[in-house]
Amino acid sequence: MLRSRFEWIIWIAVAALMGVAWIVVSKEEVKEPSILTLTEAPIVGHLAPDFTLQTPIGERITLSELRGQPVVLNFWASWCGPCRVEMPFFERAQMKYNGKTAVIGVNQGESANIVQEFGVRQAISYPLLVDDDNSVNLNYNINSLPTTIFIDPDGVVQEVIVGIVNQAVLEDRIEGMMRAE
Amino acid sequence: MFPTINIGPFVFPTAGIVYLLGAYVALTLIERAAKRLALNVEATYGVAVVGLLVGIVAARLAFVAEYWASFSQNLIGIIWPLTSGYTVWAGLFFGVAAAFFYGRYKNLPLWPTLDALTPGLLTALIALSLADFLAGPGYGTLTSMPWGMSVFGIRRHPVQVYEIVLGVAALGVWWLVVKRGAPAGQPFLLAFALYSAGRLFLDAYRDNALLTADGYHIVQIVALALLVGCLVLLARQTTRSVEPKPTESTPV
Repeated sequence: MLRSRFEWIIWIAVAALMGVAWIVVSKEEVKEPSILTLTEAPIVGHLAPDFTLQTPIGERITLSELRGQPVVLNFWASWCGPCRVEMPFFERAQMKYNGKTAVIGVNQGESANIVQEFGVRQAISYPLLVDDDNSVNLNYNINSLPTTIFIDPDGVVQEVIVGIVNQAVLEDRIEGMMRAE
Repeated sequence: MFPTINIGPFVFPTAGIVYLLGAYVALTLIERAAKRLALNVEATYGVAVVGLLVGIVAARLAFVAEYWASFSQNLIGIIWPLTSGYTVWAGLFFGVAAAFFYGRYKNLPLWPTLDALTPGLLTALIALSLADFLAGPGYGTLTSMPWGMSVFGIRRHPVQVYEIVLGVAALGVWWLVVKRGAPAGQPFLLAFALYSAGRLFLDAYRDNALLTADGYHIVQIVALALLVGCLVLLARQTTRSVEPKPTESTPV
């Protein structure tokens, strides 16, 4: 153990300087968001990557055609417990903001049959899209389920939330996007 | 990776189970440490429980206050666990404050109590990292190292595993220092100096770290402040104990 005050001062100064240097080295570049660019993965402030997917009964939905209203994009899977927990919140939001906000569920890698059965069993009325080859999930860089992406009426990503979104946060974000219209 | 655990027809959230187990192990370790350090076991255990409970309630109330418009029509939602949502900083602030004042009320000595709480605090931090690893959103930066883990086909640093190893190492340091009979406060300060230095280093390998507006890692800044604080307090303790006692002044 160090004994003299001078030795301690030297070592604390060295530790602080090395720490500050490491923080500066680890600093990440913050890019100014530009809404003029399309991105491969959703980045806040950028246009959401466009896609077209089908519901289990064959209805085609294209993200860019939903412009003019806020869009809540929820990535889920039937085996995902937290997804099941939050789905009633999305259902309630769908009923409450019907016609003013689009609530869309994008499944991860499961067949149309599974998505269809799940939607009926859970009494989900908002569109559940089938992404059986995971192309949209990969493009959106979905690493963890559930993930919810809030997209404003101009098609710009406002927020990405990984994990359960509760009723309070969901309504807060939707109303915030509606106010900003 | 494993957001839920299926047991028969029931689905349990992995993170919740890890938090509960972590809290149980942390409280058990605090109880044993208090016994080992010859402290008032009941009061020391009480400090931990009060800090934990007040922290959880404060974090929940702060969240409800932040989103009051959504709860005002749905008061049962405030205590309904499925709509869980917490404001972490409020929980930390009020939890630490409550534990501190409870300790004062029980006349517990500051440094020995902190020494006894250390294994519990480190276990709680390990549980947070484990829950993040199993079911959380965190992931590391890209790596080609052989110990990198594949996340959706991309090899990344298992940054939460590094944090768990660091936490275990800090627990080891605490145990060694206590075993050697170090003065009160040193087990706490040395263990947290090591843990802070480690988090300062490791957070650089987290790909979705919390950042300031300028791109600096917030965890690194907090860790550096804690590291310097621990070292300064260690210096004060050590130099105080070796400096010659002032001699009695002799009348001139």
